[in-house]
Amino acid sequence: MARHRGRGFTTIEYPTGMNQNGDPSQAWVKLKPDGRVDVFAGTVDIGQGSRTVHTQIVADAIGVPYDWVTMDNTNTDSSPVCTGTFASRGTFIGGNAVRFAAEKAKERVLAIAAQELEVDAADLVIEDGEVFARGAPQKKIGVPDVAAAATWKYGELITGTGAALKPFASLDPETGSVEVEPHSALSYAACVAEVEVTVLSLLEAYDVGRAINPTLVEGQIQGGAMMGLGLGLLESCYPYYPSTDHRGGEFGTYLAPGIEDLPDIKALILENPSVDGPFGAKAIGEMANNAQPPAIATAVHDAIGVWITELPITPEKVLRALDRKAAGEGEPRREGKRVIFDEEISLNAVGSDDAAVRLTLGG
Amino acid sequence: MKLTLNGVERDVESPPLTSLLAVLREELGILSPKAGCQQGGCGSCTVLVDGEARRACLIPLASVDGAEITTVEGLGSPDDLGRVQAAFNDAYAAQCGYCTSGMLMAAEGLLRTNPSPTREDIQHTLGGHVCRCTGYVKIIDAVELAAGGVA
Amino acid sequence: MKAVGARLPRYDGVGHVTGQTTYVDDVRVAGMLWAKALRSPIHRGDIMRLDTSKAEGHPGVHAVVTHADVPKNVYGHLEALGVPADEPLLAEGEVRWKGQVIAVVAAEDEATAREAVELIEVEFEEKEPLFDPRKAFDPDAPQIHPWGNWYNHFEGEMDRRQIRKGDVAWAFDQADTIIQGVYRPAAIEHLPLETQISLSVPESTGRLTIYSCTQAMYFSMGVVAAHLQVPLNRLKLVGGTVGGGFGGKVDSATETITALLALKSGRPVKWRFTREEEFLVSSTRAPWHIEIADALTDDGWILGRKTLTLHDSGAYSRFSPYGLTKHSFHHLGAYTIPNVHFDGYVVYTNRVPTTAMRGFGVTSVSFAVETHMSRIADTLGLDPFEFRLKNANRVGDTTANRVVLQDPSTVPIVQAVAEAAGIELAAELRTMSSEPRTGDLLPEHLVSQQVLEKESH
Repeated sequence: MARHRGRGFTTIEYPTGMNQNGDPSQAWVKLKPDGRVDVFAGTVDIGQGSRTVHTQIVADAIGVPYDWVTMDNTNTDSSPVCTGTFASRGTFIGGNAVRFAAEKAKERVLAIAAQELEVDAADLVIEDGEVFARGAPQKKIGVPDVAAAATWKYGELITGTGAALKPFASLDPETGSVEVEPHSALSYAACVAEVEVTVLSLLEAYDVGRAINPTLVEGQIQGGAMMGLGLGLLESCYPYYPSTDHRGGEFGTYLAPGIEDLPDIKALILENPSVDGPFGAKAIGEMANNAQPPAIATAVHDAIGVWITELPITPEKVLRALDRKAAGEGEPRREGKRVIFDEEISLNAVGSDDAAVRLTLGG
Repeated sequence: MKLTLNGVERDVESPPLTSLLAVLREELGILSPKAGCQQGGCGSCTVLVDGEARRACLIPLASVDGAEITTVEGLGSPDDLGRVQAAFNDAYAAQCGYCTSGMLMAAEGLLRTNPSPTREDIQHTLGGHVCRCTGYVKIIDAVELAAGGVA
Repeated sequence: MKAVGARLPRYDGVGHVTGQTTYVDDVRVAGMLWAKALRSPIHRGDIMRLDTSKAEGHPGVHAVVTHADVPKNVYGHLEALGVPADEPLLAEGEVRWKGQVIAVVAAEDEATAREAVELIEVEFEEKEPLFDPRKAFDPDAPQIHPWGNWYNHFEGEMDRRQIRKGDVAWAFDQADTIIQGVYRPAAIEHLPLETQISLSVPESTGRLTIYSCTQAMYFSMGVVAAHLQVPLNRLKLVGGTVGGGFGGKVDSATETITALLALKSGRPVKWRFTREEEFLVSSTRAPWHIEIADALTDDGWILGRKTLTLHDSGAYSRFSPYGLTKHSFHHLGAYTIPNVHFDGYVVYTNRVPTTAMRGFGVTSVSFAVETHMSRIADTLGLDPFEFRLKNANRVGDTTANRVVLQDPSTVPIVQAVAEAAGIELAAELRTMSSEPRTGDLLPEHLVSQQVLEKESH
């Protein structure tokens, strides 16, 4: 029996942040009397690692060692508003909120250190938890000592608040046009899928702006690849959609991607920094499962010559498509310069002739 | 009834048909195995019963009266991680962490009988464990690392 | 040592591998009750009779809630974005999907709660359901929503999301070939390992602490506060550690109901979805029906695109108007197409309401657009890389919504993946960049869409 191999390539783009903006994230930080930093943000970690990313951002934004930063309280009494962990906004918008808060706290650290060192705050830098004068590093004071001085000498709580919000971009309902960019950043990705009607490999490239934690980015890429594979090949709530019959209510009847479905996944991380994101970051979380289904559909066509545009691309659908092809069906209808695929499943074919909405291609 | 739980003999009061998962979580204060599906389909409730990886959600208490039960709590602690725990942490094999306890116990069960598994051995052992976050790559890497291989 | 860019260990890594990370199901409070729901066994119908008295009287039952217990039963998740409310928290008078919640019981344990649910008496008059969004517009289709079978509250009370740019009639007239196709990505499950769950605890101060798996703490708090008609400081949501979300844990499926049961019973109440509930009745990714017709020149320029999208919202609106809008903003993909005609509809069917899932709106359009691009290349005999690269976004190109692109990276991404895949691109493709279009890359039909003056925001 011949084995048919095929390759498919796709390119996609994806926005960072809620569509049309207007989704705030807020944060505040405080320094304990020994200089350790507590972060409060409403961001929810659903596994993607937002707690890790946020604490990395705060550590570098202030200039203290990573293990000085804790973020252990997420509740609506102590954490301010975060619109939510969705729309790929956690690193960019949530991350900006903690960054702004950290930068404000840093200003206070520098101001107190300036008083203690009798140096202009503008001449001070903070690195690895130590404040020192640019060009005169012997003039220095540890952040813990600054925090202690704040607590017991100056009577100040070193804190900073931050809020990140891009104003809502309203649209013209007639044309769809917007005046303000309706996203915080745009990311791009590409995928090459190789199939032997089972997916052999997925080679993907992602522009994430800046990888705050490259291993966490890989985790999103690998997890997204399997979710995209599931969407493309295995999963359907309604196997006979639009009928609701035969819904799978357990793991044997709903096919979740398993470890034995794992293809060879290779990922390239490109960094084309954003203008406004924390340290140039964009996003990765959702885009990670978008490029695979069309790459797989294209690769299947490359392998066996049938286009399957109703997901998932199950063995049943493949066999039916091959049967149709063998019977001389499944080719697009050609009418003048039009090439019309999938006519039998279109709205015009299934809906009635006097339906309120039809696809009109006139002109 | 009695269970030897992570090396300590415990008396158990729950009714005989209570699932081992419910006994562990609700009576004995062992929270690492999770109620991911209670259908035996996801693997997140996996514990070792007399050294063998089994799905606690499917086991009635009466059938394991007197058995040795090992859970994640028995593998190690934050200051003294067991080899599989350390490997999973080093290899970033957990994202949300909900499937992790089951993966750890299945991996531990595998390595006790097959100390040098191939990647195929690992995939086969974990074939019935569902993870939605990681895409499995780093989980396989972690088990290899725990076995002494290169992640 | 810099933290940003470093492969630092996960903040919660040790917690995850020692079983010490605390999820909602791991929270232990004294006196906790378990919740179970009565759900509609039919797809669509009127509720003729509902009697919870036998359940309320069952030993071990501490509270039963129906729509009558909810101060504001109908609250729209996106009211702040102008999407009017249409969905009841607990069914009132009718059911519109199989699995819709009618009543919820709080009892000493799960078994007792399940027994009590069986004791609730309910009678229905079944009605014909609608499942196929392509039939929703037929004059004789069952009308399953008071607004009709599709959402009609877009801005300006329009009944569709619409984008018009340039002159698509000209494009189709000028085209050498028009290629049409239909793309139908399916509904899939979020399938987090942790099912939907919340635990509401009444405090001595009169406040409610709600341990929640939500992906959006303040959003869920707002939903609960609106249904209960209380100020935000009556509630304290605790969370931030979730066993997988993927977009399915924004709907706030259990929080308001455990809050109601906690208030009514005076005891902490936990509602943990079974895996069957997670599969069969929790919200799903939406099924989409996307028809694309592209006007093409034989040398591979896309002159114009006409798109019709049906977004199967299930029985209620939830986030669908937002998802369709986001879909429309990205329906040209990573490419520049000057003449655009997009119509999209949020269509109601008698199935589980659909919701956001990873990529909401764009996942579907990426599948449709990219498969269509591959099909075009194959049908016209074009190299798939060259076809994509010449139409790819460049600096100064404008999107369907007139966003001026400042820094698109379509070109370098394509070049990077081709190189990694060992695909040798022709020399002129290898040297392409994202710089503004000029010369051969700026044919007449792309001139008017190009905006090169830097805009300040």
